[in-house]
Amino acid sequence: MTPFSLILENVRHDLRASDGKLAIMTQAALIFFLLTLSLSSASVQQYLAKNLLQMLGSDLVIEQHGTLTAEQEAKIRAAAPKVSKTELVGITLTHGPNWERVQLKQVDDAYPLQGTLMVGSSPAAEKTPAAKGPGIGEIWLGPRLATKLEASVGDQISLAGTAHTVTAILFHEPDRIMEGHSVAYRAMIKAGSAAPDAFDTSGRRQRFLIEADTEARTSLEAWTKENLPAATLIKKQGGRHPLAGFWKRTENFLGLASVILFFMAAVAMDMTNRRWLVQMRYRLSLYSSFGISSSTVLTMAGLQWFIGFMLSLGVAGIFTVAAHYFIVGELQAFFPGIEGGWSGDAVAKTVMLTFGLLLALQVPALIQLKRASILDLIRSAPEGAYTWLRLLWGLIAVSGLAAAYSDNLLLTGLMLGAIGMALVLMIFLTWATVAVGDKWGAGRAGFVPFAFFFMRQRLFAKSAQVLGLGLCALLLLFTLMLMRDLSGMMESYARHHDGNLLVSEAQSDQMADIEAWAKKTGSDFKQLRPFVSAKLIRVNELALADYMKKPSDTLSTLKRPIRLSWSEQMPTNNTLSGGTWWPSDTRDWQQISTEPEVMTDLGLSYGDTLTYQINGRSYSFTLVASHSYKPGGGSITFWFQVPTAARAQIEADTRFMGSMELPETAWSELAALWQQHPTLSLVSLRELTERLDNMLGLVIKLTSGYAAMVLLLAMFVLIASSKGFEADDQRKNGLLMSMGLKRGDCLKLSTYDWAITAIIAATGAVAGTWIAGQLMYEAQFGLAYKPDPLWIGGTIGLMVMAVCGVGVLTCMRSLTTSVRDLLAT
Amino acid sequence: MQDKIELRKISHHFDTTAEQIILFRDLALEIKTGEIISIVGPSGAGKSSLLSIAAGLEKPANGSVHFNIDGSEVDELALRANSGFIFQQFHLMPELDALSNLALPLRLKGNRNAFNIAAAWLEKVGLQDRAKHRPHQLSGGEQQRIAIARAFVSEPRFIFADEPTGNLDMKTSENVAGLMFDFARDSGCGLVIVTHSMRLAMLADKSLQLSDRKLEAIK
Repeated sequence: MTPFSLILENVRHDLRASDGKLAIMTQAALIFFLLTLSLSSASVQQYLAKNLLQMLGSDLVIEQHGTLTAEQEAKIRAAAPKVSKTELVGITLTHGPNWERVQLKQVDDAYPLQGTLMVGSSPAAEKTPAAKGPGIGEIWLGPRLATKLEASVGDQISLAGTAHTVTAILFHEPDRIMEGHSVAYRAMIKAGSAAPDAFDTSGRRQRFLIEADTEARTSLEAWTKENLPAATLIKKQGGRHPLAGFWKRTENFLGLASVILFFMAAVAMDMTNRRWLVQMRYRLSLYSSFGISSSTVLTMAGLQWFIGFMLSLGVAGIFTVAAHYFIVGELQAFFPGIEGGWSGDAVAKTVMLTFGLLLALQVPALIQLKRASILDLIRSAPEGAYTWLRLLWGLIAVSGLAAAYSDNLLLTGLMLGAIGMALVLMIFLTWATVAVGDKWGAGRAGFVPFAFFFMRQRLFAKSAQVLGLGLCALLLLFTLMLMRDLSGMMESYARHHDGNLLVSEAQSDQMADIEAWAKKTGSDFKQLRPFVSAKLIRVNELALADYMKKPSDTLSTLKRPIRLSWSEQMPTNNTLSGGTWWPSDTRDWQQISTEPEVMTDLGLSYGDTLTYQINGRSYSFTLVASHSYKPGGGSITFWFQVPTAARAQIEADTRFMGSMELPETAWSELAALWQQHPTLSLVSLRELTERLDNMLGLVIKLTSGYAAMVLLLAMFVLIASSKGFEADDQRKNGLLMSMGLKRGDCLKLSTYDWAITAIIAATGAVAGTWIAGQLMYEAQFGLAYKPDPLWIGGTIGLMVMAVCGVGVLTCMRSLTTSVRDLLAT
Repeated sequence: MQDKIELRKISHHFDTTAEQIILFRDLALEIKTGEIISIVGPSGAGKSSLLSIAAGLEKPANGSVHFNIDGSEVDELALRANSGFIFQQFHLMPELDALSNLALPLRLKGNRNAFNIAAAWLEKVGLQDRAKHRPHQLSGGEQQRIAIARAFVSEPRFIFADEPTGNLDMKTSENVAGLMFDFARDSGCGLVIVTHSMRLAMLADKSLQLSDRKLEAIK
């Protein structure tokens, strides 16, 4: 018989008690969430890494929006022994009455450079390798596209006025990696098979697949950085997958979400810890009285906690396996061929992180245990100062985690700031309410004054209870509200689009035909705005990649060319957010206005210089104003706008973006317009809505899973809170009953106590949510914060009822024991 | 050489927000193995503090305390490894049955025969038929008998008892005190009892009274 077997026995005893179960469940829920997240992320990372090795199709890829000059192309060809040039363009393919937006790849004779093309004679046919791409006058269609267009091998498809014959179904391209997570329909033709200017669109990309030795790769890399600042370069060895940044950002966002969960788990654990601590102090004091050294008893406490952690890990592991394979299944739509599995590194990293964090939360308890002494058995020691130490330490640990996890320091700072303010408010409210209530109740008879009197006696414990419940309610309320409002915004964006056809991109020379078509079919233009395609390459003379190293949504968008529009006056659907908009007849063309969200994400200030590459040339603008979207007057708005005077200085084709209202009869006429102009990008509202519904479906799945986790932890907090004060209530009730009060009276008193607690916590939570909403909605999510009083009131009402319900139930249970038992506690 | 605890010219006090309350001044006391000492005195005189100082749990405000075990002076940690305690509130582990409570100190010290030794002690205190009972299923007297056996089971050199019969009726008190004194004499350990009961105090080899900040022998 050794102390270790005693530790195991203690663990078994603790697990039989509800506190022990609750602590293990809370830990397990948290580990489950973080482990599932890490494993799924690791699967994606592994998929991306494997993808990079197997599917780059060359040693090096240089991709540029627009076209390279003849000298630039010659330089690339001279630097490497093998080069294949491909061009990608988004067009609309039509076959009979069917049409579909397609990513068309034009390939040369050198394609494919590395890897194999796989083709077949029908979407269901066996895949066979092809040494080269299609010939002149031939087109290969992706299997999904062939099905969608109802086209088979041998059919004719008209492409910019030239007939192409479908000669194969294209299953696999070896340079597929560059398509990233795009699920766009794909087609392939030979370069030169259509007229050279047939595919002139701002989305056109040139891609050079290069096979070269290390030296040539290094020299090309340096040359690209200097001469093609807008180009993207990906290398097989030591390179990063184009999607790695996107995924990292997604992980960071999920990281912030897990911080909120960790906060809630910390609250639940702090509440259970309170009783665990009392029990452990007692246990360890007794062990000391048997002559055991304090280091041994502390080791025993640490080991006992460790066993609990391992147990939570085991429980979480089982659920993680199921959840991981489910998520990997869902991710197949984005990452075809992704596989689930145990990544030792990811598991070890997450387990160590969770272990460290949970241990950090345990530190104040261990300090207190270190001070456990036989004296505690002779006279009881006060807890007071340690409560604050525990709360403060927990807050520091979780804030540290938040800062480490999040890529958006502003968002994290705002969230933590709102939580901090809400906590201060709740402390103040608790103390003020109890003090005022007690003063009011002095000299008055009845249960309410008595409830205030008791609360004042237990002010410390009461404050901790209010803070725990209030923080939990705040996080729950804010998460639910944000999810509701974000989904609502996404939906309203789609549903309130003016017109039923979005002109996503039209070239100047296509406009006359579109206008004629609109007149013929009775369609109306609702809005039309000009733009040029521009890529932000430098901020204050610093390359964008060097200026902004942390991944963000804004940066991800700015890695691709954006649309730069011009306007003399502030557009009717925009409002000035800051700075000064230029006078309408200004000659100073080098001024620019951007949206506040872009300014925040990039850390821009007025007076900064933004340099864009437009059609191969650089143009610099000084940031003078910021504009934001305001409803009414059309939904099309641009991130960046310059004065009209700038247009004359920029050498690039003007393109248009707008919206149209089509009568029902005009839809069938669209195919004719596309046959004439395949690059014309039109998106029907129906299609837009469908895309959005698909995305919303995924968002709803994700948020529902997340909300379920938040609710689960909220439930743990509630149970922990009511259980935590059960002993106090039992003692109080015993005392009251010994003084002649009836059980019903005790129940009434307990209800008042819980109701006051719940109302203070709910008030703090609403105030905290309001602060968080004010701070974050506008700045971080582009949402106007308009709290719905009914919704908030209803949610708060439910929370107060839930808290009171659980509290009263606990009280009823404690009242079923006899007065003798109550007094004995 | 006999093990002993020496308290030399010790003084102690505690501070409240308003004043300093002096418990005792310049006390001297020697506690040896094989000797039973009782300390009596009014509430608030500082009996429990004196016991805590003697047991090395607290340091006196002034004066010095010396612990001698096996012929050499040791620190309070070494003393504690050779001490046992009996409390007024019994302090049995509520989740353990009587036998497990008794076996606890032995198990903590890695004794493989813990349960057999505990069973023998349970028989000594006449509770062998209560082995599987939890503390809440036992009377106060039964709980204290187990607590006493638990203090002696690991054969300590000194045992400190703080109001061991304070929660018991007179008959049970006598029964419990008898056991405690018998075990102490059989084992040859030093026993220090703090009590309000003059009857119990007079059963000791040496009785001391703590009052008016002074310690005086009454037996």
